[in-house]
Amino acid sequence: MIDVLLIMLVFFMVTSTYLDLDMIPMAEGAEEQTSTPTADPGAPLVLRLGAEGAVFLRGRPISAVEIAAVVAGRPDVTILPSLRAETQALVSLMDLLTGAGAGSVRLLRVAEP
Amino acid sequence: MRLARAPRRTPPETIIPLIDVVFFLLVFFMLIGRMDATAPFEVTPAVAVTGSDMPGGGITLAVSEVGALALDGSVVDADVAIARLRDLLTEDPTRLVRINAHRRAPLSEVLPLVARIEGLGARDVVLVVTPAAP
Repeated sequence: MIDVLLIMLVFFMVTSTYLDLDMIPMAEGAEEQTSTPTADPGAPLVLRLGAEGAVFLRGRPISAVEIAAVVAGRPDVTILPSLRAETQALVSLMDLLTGAGAGSVRLLRVAEP
Repeated sequence: MRLARAPRRTPPETIIPLIDVVFFLLVFFMLIGRMDATAPFEVTPAVAVTGSDMPGGGITLAVSEVGALALDGSVVDADVAIARLRDLLTEDPTRLVRINAHRRAPLSEVLPLVARIEGLGARDVVLVVTPAAP
């Protein structure tokens, strides 16, 4: 009995991972897409994420504080990321937008050349 | 007349408390651990504050810093990964697909992958992140 328990204990200790991980949704389900309201009272806000991680609004670099001020209350924000940017830069920007109150954050993907 | 002293009996080993402790440890490790396949290369997910708790199960596609892919722990080519995902999603389209990308992986390796997986009809595609310290 104790032998079997010890073997099981060692098995679970060795094979399990103990990382605390979260997730960010990257794709909407088909049902959600049809039911999501698309009415946007303001002009669409498009932020460009540069290769070095800098964020641009209408061609001008914009700081995190300015982003929070511009985004507040916007139901829909679109990010146009450079494909050379790092994943962390995109996640940080999405984090900032969600924290600033953006209703939904969308990614604009340019087709590969 | 002197009677021989009865030999001192050593108390029997108490195995039951040991079983209790081991059983408790077993249940503890089963509850807090996740039986996920780990990638054969180093993957450090991006840090995020606004991530939500990740449910168990699903398929994990790991992306290394240089764009190498591993599907549920085994290194695969992108086309092979997509083919396997197509089979798995055909069986169950509601299956969760987790993309565990290294934080320094270029988006050119991650975003086209998301698009291809979406094209397979996946309803749940999520990016794995590490919760930021409060």
